[in-house]
Amino acid sequence: MNDPINVLTLFLFNIVLINIPLLYGTVGEIVVEKAGSLDLGVEGTMAVGAIFGYLAGCAANSMAVGLLVAFLAAGLCGLLFALLTVSFQANQNVTGLTITTFGLGLYFFVGKGMGERWPAMAGSSALMDGFAALEIPLLSKIPVLGKVFFSQNLLVYLGIAIAALAWWYLNFTKTGLRLRAVGENPGAADSVGVNILLYKYVHLIAGSGIMGLGGFYMALNMSGSFEGSNCWINGYGWIAIALVIFANWNPVLAILGTLVFGFFNTLQIYAGALAGAFPGGLGWLNTVPAQLFKALPFIITAIVLIASSVHKREGSGQPAALGLNYFREER
Amino acid sequence: MKNRQPLFHVVKRESGSPGRQALAYVAAVALALAVGAVLLAVQGVEPLTFYKQMLTMGIPGSRYPWRAVENFIKLFVPLLIVSLALALAFKMRFWNIGGEGQFIMGAFWAGVAAMKLGETLPRPAMVLVMAVAGALGGGVYGLFAAALKVRFGTNETLLTLMLNYIALYFLQFFAETKAGWNFFLDPQSARPKFAKFPASAQMITIPIGPFNLNLSLVIALALCALIFAYLNYTKRGYEIAVVGDSPNTARYAGMKVGKIVLRTIFLSAALIGMAGAFHVSSAGVMSASPTNDVGWTGIVVAWLAKLNTAGILVAALLITVLQFGCQTASTTYPAIDANFANLLQGVILFIVLAADFFTRFKLVRRKEAAK
Repeated sequence: MNDPINVLTLFLFNIVLINIPLLYGTVGEIVVEKAGSLDLGVEGTMAVGAIFGYLAGCAANSMAVGLLVAFLAAGLCGLLFALLTVSFQANQNVTGLTITTFGLGLYFFVGKGMGERWPAMAGSSALMDGFAALEIPLLSKIPVLGKVFFSQNLLVYLGIAIAALAWWYLNFTKTGLRLRAVGENPGAADSVGVNILLYKYVHLIAGSGIMGLGGFYMALNMSGSFEGSNCWINGYGWIAIALVIFANWNPVLAILGTLVFGFFNTLQIYAGALAGAFPGGLGWLNTVPAQLFKALPFIITAIVLIASSVHKREGSGQPAALGLNYFREER
Repeated sequence: MKNRQPLFHVVKRESGSPGRQALAYVAAVALALAVGAVLLAVQGVEPLTFYKQMLTMGIPGSRYPWRAVENFIKLFVPLLIVSLALALAFKMRFWNIGGEGQFIMGAFWAGVAAMKLGETLPRPAMVLVMAVAGALGGGVYGLFAAALKVRFGTNETLLTLMLNYIALYFLQFFAETKAGWNFFLDPQSARPKFAKFPASAQMITIPIGPFNLNLSLVIALALCALIFAYLNYTKRGYEIAVVGDSPNTARYAGMKVGKIVLRTIFLSAALIGMAGAFHVSSAGVMSASPTNDVGWTGIVVAWLAKLNTAGILVAALLITVLQFGCQTASTTYPAIDANFANLLQGVILFIVLAADFFTRFKLVRRKEAAK
């Protein structure tokens, strides 16, 4: 039970299991930001995707329905954001924050309204099976790493696949490159015939939909138990916004970033166990306040933000027109 | 060559008409309440009964109606001050979304002052010291982001966002760490629990019959008038308007833009910090999450009011009625609580943001393309 290698393996395993929703949120936000829009509504969008995806998944007893509804419900938040900021030229910061307020309000309103009718995840065999660990043949037999990376559930692999796909899309496809042009200089993209409106709408909806999948993941990881005081998303949406910066707007680096942020996030849970298993090397972990681990993702991101503005690097992935509305008549 | 063009194109209006705007607001609130009514009905709650209870905030028929008013004021004052302060920053297009963090820092330093000096100072002096400590705590925290923005062009939206959470966990460290040096906690309690402030650190109240008027309300209303005058009748207020309109114009006119930004953001964050000080002083005790989301809601209020000082007073009142009303109504309807207020708030702002478009722009029919 207290075998040090077991504790370490479980710790590493949980870094991946607990934090993959961050990856979904981050990749979704990268897609949105590459279109030049800063959506601060990640937390609310994930919450909306989570609750509707979970309820639909339970009602239909189907993983696919849950994923689809989570994507669509969160996509609607993206549509709302696009409608207000792209078509109606509303301020992006204010609109995004309002989506968070609204989304969390809706989450609790729906959840509390369900009351006794709230479905238990145990009642849905499809969700239970769909979220169970999948052991990849051979690879899962590797000591430590097999458990950590190759005995995870389906949604972990899906998240990593989406991140890789987004990276390929943004770097190697014509539409992906055009999208980046929209985020860098919409006026120039417009003048060569890129349909700005269409690009923004599609990617804002798709990016938000990906965030919603992350919300659905969190619902399943919390075994679908609804609490009146704490939202499932629990601040992951805000960390995702930070991770976008840390990953320099690169979906593949976001996988790495998720593991780095996830390391601290999980350390606060496992600090005691690790200190117990390795009293010589890691005993000091017990003396570090848990709040420092919680704050670390934000501290690191603040430092990255400041450092990257002090040294204006060449390769910064931040879209030049991020947060600015595009008004065609003022080209 | 294809020559398809949309039938309409969008043109900026020369000036918005106030009548049209007022109409948009009334419509937004009415529409939001209608959306809310549908949602309530779906949940099996009679919408009209709920709204009646929400809007009266449980005051009529209560045995202690003044208690409700006192609690309403405790919710209203922080929101009003924070919204006013945020509007100052937004007027310069400085996206201070760090209201939460600045409020927490204000509350924290006011708490330090209360616990360290509370026994030694008389009440008026103590309340003043707490206000100053809170203002400095919040102000310096905001100034940090502003200085980086001015010096290096650091993105202030994202930086102030990060600073919110750093402040939150900083405060939680003091809330949850039981140790001999931690003067915030109640030494009698085995579990970490904030100690009550000494009596002299409690906010001054002015008794009017059975009702105790919270001094911070008087200060907040005075601040409203002061900020209105500052923005409209002083040179510094004028500078804020010019910088917000165009930093280049301001530079050309010989204004020191960096200095103006630093000064204004310090003022904005200091006011937010002071609101944090008032809040903990009114509560008489620290809290691990003192903000009640006022840093976020303040953004909604400032935006609803179009950063207009008088408008902020009205919008802050409206949002507080929503929040406090839902809180009191939830005693009868346990399934519906303050979150319903957030939901309504969101819908109102969505509609106002959409309606803004039609007050700022107009659709013009395209002329027939020349053949």
